[in-house]
Amino acid sequence: MKSVHGIQTWLVWTLASVTPVGSFMRTHWGWPAAESVHFVGLSLLVGTIVVWDLRLLGVGRRIPIAALRALVRWTLVGYAITFVSGLMFLMTEPTEYIYNPAFHYKVLFMALAGLNALAFYLTVSRRTLALGAGQEAPLPARIIAAASLFLWMAVIVSGRLLTFYRPGWCGAEPPGFLADCVPLLQRW
Amino acid sequence: MTAWIEASGFSIWMRESPSFLAFPLMLSLHAIGMGLAAGINGALALRLLGVAPDVPVSEMKRFFPAMWAGVWVNGLSGVALLIAYPTKALTNPVFYGKLALVALALAISRSTGRRVFGQSAAWDAERTRTARRLAVASLAVWISAITAGRLLAYTYTHILAAR
Repeated sequence: MKSVHGIQTWLVWTLASVTPVGSFMRTHWGWPAAESVHFVGLSLLVGTIVVWDLRLLGVGRRIPIAALRALVRWTLVGYAITFVSGLMFLMTEPTEYIYNPAFHYKVLFMALAGLNALAFYLTVSRRTLALGAGQEAPLPARIIAAASLFLWMAVIVSGRLLTFYRPGWCGAEPPGFLADCVPLLQRW
Repeated sequence: MTAWIEASGFSIWMRESPSFLAFPLMLSLHAIGMGLAAGINGALALRLLGVAPDVPVSEMKRFFPAMWAGVWVNGLSGVALLIAYPTKALTNPVFYGKLALVALALAISRSTGRRVFGQSAAWDAERTRTARRLAVASLAVWISAITAGRLLAYTYTHILAAR
C-alpha cells in the first residue's frame, strides 16, 4: 500500500520535471491546442478500431480481413497522437490525473483494451486473417471485437469524466490503496 | 429567450444534478459520437486516398450506418448540452463556426455516399479524382470542426443570461 503511494508521488514529480512542456501548456493557447490534437487523435484511433471491430462482427463482410491490416498503422498513429498530447496534460498538472479516480479507471480500461488486442494476436489472429471475402470471423474473434468496442467507449467516458472527479487535498483520513486525493506533502 | 430556456426544468437538471445521467453522460455521448462520426469518416477518407487498397471501396459503404448513428448521437447530446448552457453557446461566434463546419462535413459525407459509393457510374479516373478531393476535404473539415468544438470551452464570454 505504501509502495503504491510512493509510485504516485514519484510519477507526479517525474512528470512535473519536464518543465518545457508545462511552460508551453501554460501559454494562452497551449492547453486548448493540445486538447484539440488529443480529440483529433482520438477520432483517428477509435474510427479505425471501430472499422476493424465491425468487420469482425460481420459488417462489410466482403472485405477480406487481412486487407484491413494496412489500417493498423493509422490506428497506431492515432494512438501516438493521443498518447503524446495526453502526456502533455499530465506533465502540466500531474496531481490532477495521478490522484483522479476517473484517470485510474481510464488507465485500467486502456490496459484492458491493450490486453484484449494482445489476446487477439496470440489466439485467433492467424485463423482470422486467413479468411477471405464473405467469410465470418470465428466466435473468439467476435467476442474480442465486442470487448474492444466496449473498452474503448469506456476509455472515452472515463476521459470525459476527469473534470468531474478532480482530486481534493487529503484530510486526516489516510488514503486507500490508490490515493484519490492529493497528499499534503505534494504541495509545492 | 435563452433566460427562458435556462429556467426550464431540463436545463436546470442538466446543470445542477449530481447524477451521472445529466451533464457527464451527455458530454460522454458527445465524445463517443464524435469518435464514430469523425473517426469512421477518417477511415473512409484514408481508404479513398489509397490506404488499404485491397479493401473493396464499394464495401466501405457498409460503415455508413455506424457513422450516421454517431451523427445522431451527437445531434441529440449536443441539443441537451445546448439546453444546459444556451447563453454560453449562442453568444459565442465560435459556436456558429462549429455548426457550419459540421454541416459542411455532413454535406461532404452525403456527397461521398452519392458520388463515390453510388452504383451508377463506372470506377474511372474521374471518379478516383472526385473521391480523393472529397476525402481531403472531409479530413480537413472534420479536424477544423473538432478544434472549433474544443475551443468552445475557452472562447465564451457569458455563461448564463444576465438576470
